[in-house]
Amino acid sequence: MSEHNTHDESDGIDAARRDFLKGLGAATAVGVTGFGLGQQSEMQSLEIVDDPIGSYPYRDWEDLYREEWDWDSKARSTHSVNCTGSCSWQVYVRNGQVWREEQAGDYPRFDESLPDPNPRGCQKGACYSDYVNADQRILHPLKRVGERGEGQWQRISWDEALTEIAEEVIDTVRAEEYDAISGFTPIPAMSPVSFASGSRLVNLLGGVSHSFYDWYSDLPPGQPITWGTQTDNAESADWYNSDYIIAWGSNINVTRIPDAKYFLEAAYNGTKRVGIFTDYSQTAIHTDEWISPEPGTDTALALGMARVIVDEGLYDEAHLKEQTDMPLLVREDTGKFLRVSDVPGLSTSADRPDQMFVMQDQQGSLRVAPGSLGERDGQYDPSESISLDFDPQLSVEGTVQTTDGSAQVRTVWNNLNDELANYTPEYIYEETGVGEQTHQEIAREFAEAEKAKIIHGKGVNDWYHNDLGNRAIQLLVTLTGNLGEQGTGLDHYVGQEKIWTFKGWKSLSFPTGSVRGVPTTLWTYFHAGILDNTDPDTAAKIRESIEKGWMPLYPSERDDGTRPDPSVLFVWRGNYFNQAKGNVALEEELWPKLDLVVDINFRMDSTAMNADIVLPAASHYEKHDLSMTDMHTYVHPFTPAVDPLGESKTDWAIFRELAAKIQELATEREIEPVPDRKFDREIDLTSVYDDYVRDWQTGEDGALAEDKAAAEYILEHSEESNPSDTDEQLTFDEIDEEPKRLLATGDHWTSDIEDGEAYTPWKRYVHDKEPWPTFTGRQQYYIDHDWFLELDEALPTHKQAPVLQEKSEYPLGYNTPHGRWSIHSTWRDNTKMLRLQRGEPIVYLNPEDAAKRGIEDGDTVKVYNDLAEVEVQAKIYPSSEPGTVRHFFAWERFQYPDRQNFNSLVPMYMKPTQLVQYPEDTGEHLHFFPNYWGPTGVNSDVRVEVEKVDGGGGNQGGDGQ
Amino acid sequence: MSSQSDGGGSDTPEGVDLAEGIDHQVAMVMDLNKCIGCQTCTIACKTNWTEGGGRDYMYWNNVETRPGSGYPKDWEEMGGGWKSEEHAERQPGQLPEKEEYGRAWEFNHEQIFYEGSDEPLRPMDGAEWGPNWDEDQGAGEYPNSYYFYLPRICNHCTHPSCVEACPRSALYKREEDGIVLVDQDRCRGYRYCVEGCPYKKVYYNSVTKNSEKCIFCYPRIEGEGPEGEVRAPSCAEDCPPQLRLVGFLDDEDGPIYKLVNEYEVAVRLHPEYRTEPNVYYIPPFAPPQHSERGESLDSERIPRNYLEELFGPEVNEALNTIERERAKVERGEESEVMDLLTTENPAKQYRLEVFDEE
Repeated sequence: MSEHNTHDESDGIDAARRDFLKGLGAATAVGVTGFGLGQQSEMQSLEIVDDPIGSYPYRDWEDLYREEWDWDSKARSTHSVNCTGSCSWQVYVRNGQVWREEQAGDYPRFDESLPDPNPRGCQKGACYSDYVNADQRILHPLKRVGERGEGQWQRISWDEALTEIAEEVIDTVRAEEYDAISGFTPIPAMSPVSFASGSRLVNLLGGVSHSFYDWYSDLPPGQPITWGTQTDNAESADWYNSDYIIAWGSNINVTRIPDAKYFLEAAYNGTKRVGIFTDYSQTAIHTDEWISPEPGTDTALALGMARVIVDEGLYDEAHLKEQTDMPLLVREDTGKFLRVSDVPGLSTSADRPDQMFVMQDQQGSLRVAPGSLGERDGQYDPSESISLDFDPQLSVEGTVQTTDGSAQVRTVWNNLNDELANYTPEYIYEETGVGEQTHQEIAREFAEAEKAKIIHGKGVNDWYHNDLGNRAIQLLVTLTGNLGEQGTGLDHYVGQEKIWTFKGWKSLSFPTGSVRGVPTTLWTYFHAGILDNTDPDTAAKIRESIEKGWMPLYPSERDDGTRPDPSVLFVWRGNYFNQAKGNVALEEELWPKLDLVVDINFRMDSTAMNADIVLPAASHYEKHDLSMTDMHTYVHPFTPAVDPLGESKTDWAIFRELAAKIQELATEREIEPVPDRKFDREIDLTSVYDDYVRDWQTGEDGALAEDKAAAEYILEHSEESNPSDTDEQLTFDEIDEEPKRLLATGDHWTSDIEDGEAYTPWKRYVHDKEPWPTFTGRQQYYIDHDWFLELDEALPTHKQAPVLQEKSEYPLGYNTPHGRWSIHSTWRDNTKMLRLQRGEPIVYLNPEDAAKRGIEDGDTVKVYNDLAEVEVQAKIYPSSEPGTVRHFFAWERFQYPDRQNFNSLVPMYMKPTQLVQYPEDTGEHLHFFPNYWGPTGVNSDVRVEVEKVDGGGGNQGGDGQ
Repeated sequence: MSSQSDGGGSDTPEGVDLAEGIDHQVAMVMDLNKCIGCQTCTIACKTNWTEGGGRDYMYWNNVETRPGSGYPKDWEEMGGGWKSEEHAERQPGQLPEKEEYGRAWEFNHEQIFYEGSDEPLRPMDGAEWGPNWDEDQGAGEYPNSYYFYLPRICNHCTHPSCVEACPRSALYKREEDGIVLVDQDRCRGYRYCVEGCPYKKVYYNSVTKNSEKCIFCYPRIEGEGPEGEVRAPSCAEDCPPQLRLVGFLDDEDGPIYKLVNEYEVAVRLHPEYRTEPNVYYIPPFAPPQHSERGESLDSERIPRNYLEELFGPEVNEALNTIERERAKVERGEESEVMDLLTTENPAKQYRLEVFDEE
């Protein structure tokens, strides 16, 4: 359409426009839906604009948008999702409704040489307001009237809902089956008051609290194994301090959006950034070198790199001697560490010489290694030291006279050298596909960098042999002494394992101090009947672990040898049903065992859809709470921008009112207290509300009735916000004004928070020489547990995963990575987010794999294996390796035509080495503790096949069109 | 207007061409090496300006995977802009079809959650294309595939062909800051502007029967709102990696002038459209290619000719300069370019009040 643009050269195009305004025939325009005669005649009377560039006279209309930029009030809040973001937002309220949100952007800076910490946030947080007023918002208590999952509900009153739940609880406790009551809620750091709300009631009822960090396979088992610690990470600002960063299976740019800046800007600060990903990922695109190992071969790659560092003498010898078990002697005959008690004449003042270990000094004398468990008071004992007053030999091979004859001994270092010798450059290329030169060069660069860091993620943590992979990758930072300094370390950012304000949170959540914690992986595995279908060796080990009490399982076995089924499940702040591995078994076996499933939620998720009673929870913009993350060292609050919508209530109010209803009915019925079969306490339902709202520290009745008081309780009783050695203290109102940096660290951290520095872990061990909380008191790469020796895993080694599906039948590796568009299942169903995807679940396929199967982009395909099949849309992704299928995580069951989901294809499988106690008899180093040590719910070894669905030539509308 | 501007005033710094009659020109530099495709900008823009009322399908700010078809689909093939540097004659353009934008899909939440529907939650009426349909796809073959993200807003061009296209003169360029707006009173929705914009950054609203577009968040930069605070456009201020610098092109002391005019590391998208956009990009670099034996090669992953197609030949010198400056800081030397691209000093990120005294 150029007619109205024609003009004569002398007058320029203004002439053309003026001509047009005189009414020339614009209706000849092509491709524009025409305008009628009325409009043309209107134009003839339009006032003329001489030149719209710079001198437009009719600008009053601009107030239109100025008026849109207006609000009545703002409140500070954030998002209580299982996310490490912990981003402070301002919520804008207009006409009594939440209008929008924007990052608060006011985290105070603590180090001017680092990038500004603001603003933290992401696209999901930027539209949480949609959920506040959304269709999926739950506004009233609902009771299921159809089958579970059908979406048939009856609206009931709060009183009816609470009465029904309370009666079930009372009956269960009276029948002494209180350990059949389970509470599942993940991640306290994202909203500790809301976490504590239900946990506190479950604890008072004698019920079971579920682990989550191990269940979601976020826990890297290699860290408790090697470092005796649940994980401790540098805050993300510290990335900028590194000279060399390897992002290993950690898709920062997708899963750590608020932190990505530190990685991205490091490029302009002289840092080399290496990405190790099996696809050319969204983080790989912003690296300086990308390495692409075959899926599941990271352990081999890491050990190959370790071999280079050892062979070429690039290791930090002083660090290895002082901080690790490398110089410790190991007996060749038993595979066990040589104990001081094994060696006649070797003396120690330690209480338990059988838990003390031996080194050899340069003069060839045997020496007692200080700081081992035998002289410590428990796992962590800062009063002891690992500092050496002799120089041990790293390499020793010889004979020692022991109490039972002579024994050949070698150091851990010798054994490690033997193991590493297997990982030749040729082998590394064959096994991993990474070039012989390239992996060696990366290893050298990493070792030679002044400050090198590994950012370790879920991509390497979801494999069956994740413990071996963790240990192998950890070895790289240990060999090079990259620990305990800014810019160094191995930062494992997967989920949120712990909370800064630990003590306040813990005593709020579990006031009795007697906690029935359970490893959720084992609980699910057992009650979903999977044990019966497990290979006999593994099943025997699982049973042995349960029998020996290494791993607890509830309901506990009764005196008559029976074990009841779980019966009541509360789920809040999480989506257990959707997110469970072994999803098919969970639905078919475990779920029918439950008499009552209560879901407390602001939105209908798959767990709510499959619950019996759904209680409407306040949204994140309608409550008081706290927010923290180990990605940063600040604390900031949730405050209500508006009142809870409809009949919804805060989590705290819901469980408080349930406690009140239980107390009311129990009192009416004169229910006697029930003695707890495990702990020295009685479960008294007639005081459960009084106990709920009482401050157990001060004894003040009714003090904790409101969520804000509970938040203040946490701040008051935590070392991080109320340090014991100063008058400084963080209060709720202060952090509402502006996020505040935490003041100190309790003993669940491994360094202090220091002014002007990003938090970096491990200083208490590396600098202060406190014993590492391991058996040996050192970073421990050799584990002499019987099961580890039996399975040939005393040292990190590369092993093939068990075969779950035959490759011949299911040729494609199946992976469910965390995506950009949701935090787990939250936002999966959000219209704004879906419009920026394809509106429905998709799988990423390599073009070659797709072509082989006659699949084109946009086709409907079924992805299947021996467990299930799911119908989704194919998306062609040239950056994936042939032979792999990526089905991003956490689509809800109701987004699939047959109500299966991404987890339907994933079996549950547990690895015996993660069910142990170590030492076997006392367990100080490895013992079950929720989210610290327990079997991880891995999921990456799964295989599938993909097929085009007939007639599935594209997206089928949800209404069947 | 003259076809070749010498600048808006005697104070205009060297190398800066302002449209005649424009006192100052707002501008943005977007660093593609910091764009992670998270679309926080897209959502921030949407919650501010384009929810409901016929605007749902509009993305005044969008982020595209490149190479890719973008939004609307294949917009680069739709013409528009100017035929020559004289800005005398417009290049004919096309009006995108509805399908090329994709509809703003609606979903059946309520039926599924509360009414017992056993349908899956999927776009009602199906879905064939959308604003981010080809996300992450890019081009090339594994392991040497490539892609990157390209955020786009209205370029508030020095020579806006959309303004010229409007027969009613309902689009104009503001004198004080060069922001290009559609007068919502005067517009009658003829869509010549939609057709005339080569970047397809004007959208037709079938409910209001008006065309609408990015307003550079002028109420925010003017300090409107209850708190009277001057704030950068929300796409910039809400960006988690802070990849956007916002200020005035003619602010000689500002980072934009330095990156565009002094160091020439920020380049225009499709300069051949000749509208002279005031949004500039730091072009992307990427890890090198792999050999068949899994070795890292000394060869660039993103083909230079593709980047030239997008950003013109200037992209080469820009990338070379960035490489040189990165090598400097790696050696421990100072680099102003690197400093400008980091947020160690956030005060320089947004310079919106520099001309307030005038």
